[in-house]
Amino acid sequence: MFLTVSNLTKSYYGGITTPVLDGINMELEQGSIGVILGPSGSGKSTLMNIIGGVDRADGGEVLVDGINVTALTDDQLTEYRRERIGFIFQFYNLIPNLTVAENIEVVSNISKAPLPVDDVLSAVGLADKKRRFPRELSGGEQQRVSIARAIVKNPALLLCDEPTGALDYVTSRDVLALLQKVNTEYGTSILMITHNSAIAGMAQAVYKLRDGKVAEAYRNSQLVPAERIEW
Amino acid sequence: MALQKRIWRILSENKGRYIGIFILIFLGSFTLVAAKGFADNYGLLVNRFALHNLQEDLSFSVDQPLEGLAALKQETGAAIEPYRYADIPLSDKGELRLLTPQQTVNLPAVTSGSGLQQPGDILIDPFFASTHGFKIGDRIDTGHQSFRIVGTLALPHYIYPLKYINDILPPSGFGIGLVSPADMDSHPEAVTVYSVRFAARDNLGGQVIGLRAALEKQGVGLSDWTDAGNNKRIRMPWATITGAKTIAVPLPVALFLLCCLIVGIVIWRTVKADSVIIGALYAQGYRRRELTLHYLTLPLLLAAAGGLTGVLMGLPTIYPTVKYMANSYYIIPYEKLAVSAADVLAGILMPSAFLGLAAFLVIRRELRKTAGELMKGDRGKTKINFLERGLRLERFSFGTKFRLREQLRSIPRLLFLLFGVTAASVMMMFGFTINHSMNVVFQSGVDGTYDYAWEYSFKETRQGQVPNGATPFNALRCYPESKENAEFYLTGIASNADGIFLRDAGGNLLPKNQVNITYLLADRLKLREGQRIAFVSKLDGRSYELVVDGIVQTYSGQFIYMPLEDFNKLTGQPAGSYTGVFSMGKLPYEDWELAGVKDLQNLNNTMEDLAAPMTLMVIFMALIAALMGAIIIYLVTSLMIEESRATISLLKVFGYRGKEVRSLILNGSAWVVLLGFMLSIPLMLASASALYGYLGEMINMVLPIMLNPAYVILSFALIVTVYQATKGLSGRKLIKIPMSEALKAGSE
Repeated sequence: MFLTVSNLTKSYYGGITTPVLDGINMELEQGSIGVILGPSGSGKSTLMNIIGGVDRADGGEVLVDGINVTALTDDQLTEYRRERIGFIFQFYNLIPNLTVAENIEVVSNISKAPLPVDDVLSAVGLADKKRRFPRELSGGEQQRVSIARAIVKNPALLLCDEPTGALDYVTSRDVLALLQKVNTEYGTSILMITHNSAIAGMAQAVYKLRDGKVAEAYRNSQLVPAERIEW
Repeated sequence: MALQKRIWRILSENKGRYIGIFILIFLGSFTLVAAKGFADNYGLLVNRFALHNLQEDLSFSVDQPLEGLAALKQETGAAIEPYRYADIPLSDKGELRLLTPQQTVNLPAVTSGSGLQQPGDILIDPFFASTHGFKIGDRIDTGHQSFRIVGTLALPHYIYPLKYINDILPPSGFGIGLVSPADMDSHPEAVTVYSVRFAARDNLGGQVIGLRAALEKQGVGLSDWTDAGNNKRIRMPWATITGAKTIAVPLPVALFLLCCLIVGIVIWRTVKADSVIIGALYAQGYRRRELTLHYLTLPLLLAAAGGLTGVLMGLPTIYPTVKYMANSYYIIPYEKLAVSAADVLAGILMPSAFLGLAAFLVIRRELRKTAGELMKGDRGKTKINFLERGLRLERFSFGTKFRLREQLRSIPRLLFLLFGVTAASVMMMFGFTINHSMNVVFQSGVDGTYDYAWEYSFKETRQGQVPNGATPFNALRCYPESKENAEFYLTGIASNADGIFLRDAGGNLLPKNQVNITYLLADRLKLREGQRIAFVSKLDGRSYELVVDGIVQTYSGQFIYMPLEDFNKLTGQPAGSYTGVFSMGKLPYEDWELAGVKDLQNLNNTMEDLAAPMTLMVIFMALIAALMGAIIIYLVTSLMIEESRATISLLKVFGYRGKEVRSLILNGSAWVVLLGFMLSIPLMLASASALYGYLGEMINMVLPIMLNPAYVILSFALIVTVYQATKGLSGRKLIKIPMSEALKAGSE
């Protein structure tokens, strides 16, 4: 199994203890797409942050491609994120004073074997906008840049935090189609968190979280192409 | 307003930043009040002293005792009164110039003790008293005379107690003393000088011409003539006062303008960050005026605190500085000082006006927006300026591109850093360069060109043989036509003079049988080899003309050298005439024969005397400059970190190591620091040359500004050290930024 989460727990301590993850278990196969669904406060983001190595768990274990993420030191976590994880954010998190190409270089700059920036830009359909600044792009285009930035290092796992949360319907479908294309063309494993249950149709593994627990988990045998997802 | 409670929170959240701004404002107000207070008060005291104690307009010496003085006074409407002086060496205690008091010109001011009561009494200058440990009631033994010290004094024509008026500094251990004419009678070698002060205080130039004509009519042969305007003993204080005045306003204004930039940026950022809150407050009925006042509170508070502290700390320095100067450097009587209410108000209000206006303009621009616009926040609206847009950086590495863009994203911030580093570097190198230039000038006077140990000047022109080992010279004080304040000496030297080595810029020896002009004078008069100089004798007003053959690369004075025989021919003196000799060893001349003796060993001591306070001043200037540099770099770095929080957090998420993040964010300023430093070199040279050129014109002295590569490297090393230390300090801030900021970020 490419990703295995076992009995993961996490609480926040700020005067009172608030449990966020309460014994989460989940699995994802190599090269597949997983979707985590759940309302606000269900622990989706915390789970993704721990898998991505930007937060630590209180208990349990996360194995990614054979690496026990929960046992890594801070420096090892940095290397882990650097080498294996790609991030896509709801609000794109592009650096406003860098051009499109330079935003992608932010990641390729520290990657051991990055894909050529121009190839990645062509793959996301932005080859002609490489010199633009983020504010000169639409929301959908900005998210495309964000995807290009995430895949330029050819990551083992692509973590997407509400990638369509700030986009309209048509643009959202375009972005999802692009992610599906990345998954099939590059064989990248993708884990996506979203409020939108319709997106579950394009994922092989679906986990629904509620109050820090997996309320429902299932596997899709009939995958829906992103272009045909409706909500 | 409940909103005001935020001010303290904002201040405490960024203590370092606001302390930095406070110090810059403080330095500005402090300099304004202290330098202007000193210059105004000292200037007033010097002026008052000159006026009340009837400072001379000129002085002259004559070959023979002046007959018909009363008639001359009547004719010229001037007070003309002689005084006598004699230099008395004191055993291992330096040298004392004894002077006789005057009744109508140059009235002495007794600054402590009492006046002269009886023969045997002496008044001495306070610096001489303090350096030699003399107190009132002590006795000074000169060998064949014993004086009782009855007090200290200041003399209007010896405010700067130079031994020779062409000196830059008084010789080490030199001082002046006033004794009764009866006591002076036992010094037959005493020189008589006539001091002149015109009764009518207008058209002094015309009256000087009238006096000359009257003297000429009487057939008086002048041996010396010194206008007050060319007399360093009188004019030197004005160079210092003007120097202080020169920095008193521009430096604080520069500091306040720098603060405007940084405060403008800080306030703009605060208002931008608060735009949603401001919109909400507008929507709830807050008025624009109320919100403007709220955001003005912080800059006004900083300006008032910095200004007030600067004034309160600056005021107490005026009295001790003036007192120190009046007692030890330029000797004048000091009285109660006046604190200028205008300066105090300017010190307090100027920073408020500067910062308040800058902040007001920034706030007004943002608050013009409607509540709806403001409540939408700043998302996705980062503007790209023309510099960022215009740059094509494809061929650079990512690190270079990133660092360049980080610097260029805020032009005010970039300008603040650039000007700040330039200002700090100028200040630092200014001190070093002045110190170096003075050393070169002194060194040039001690060795190199003038390789002799003694210079003897005679009271009267001589002819005939000189003692063995001595080389004769003859000299005439002149001024270029239509430039009377650029006095110089036309000096005739023997072609075989072995005590003088005249070298050109290439280090080659220039022949002594031609007309050679010193570099400083040539530079001042814009003269080159082959050009003609027309000049006038200061003594008899006769005009001469010479063609310059060579330029002597020396910084030690303003001279034109020519062969002695030609000199005597040109000036109509008998062949073999001379007024002085150079000598390698001491010569057995009697005091009564001499008008002056220069001992180069004493020049060395003088240099040592100067070295300590000069070094202290340079170190002080370098420290203040380093502090300024540190504050400016820290402010910019902390702002950059603040503005790049989301980016820093994002870089951490992407797996950038701490060192890599620090390098990308903090090293970007290196080229601005370097550029700022490079700019400071020509700027410092230009400002120092302009200032010293101006002061030089005031006192007929040229101090060439010379850059010492070692000091440039030292200044650069200091600036780089400050930069590195500041980066280290800021690096800790950077480490603390959590990754969660990027994960929660809702921007672009």
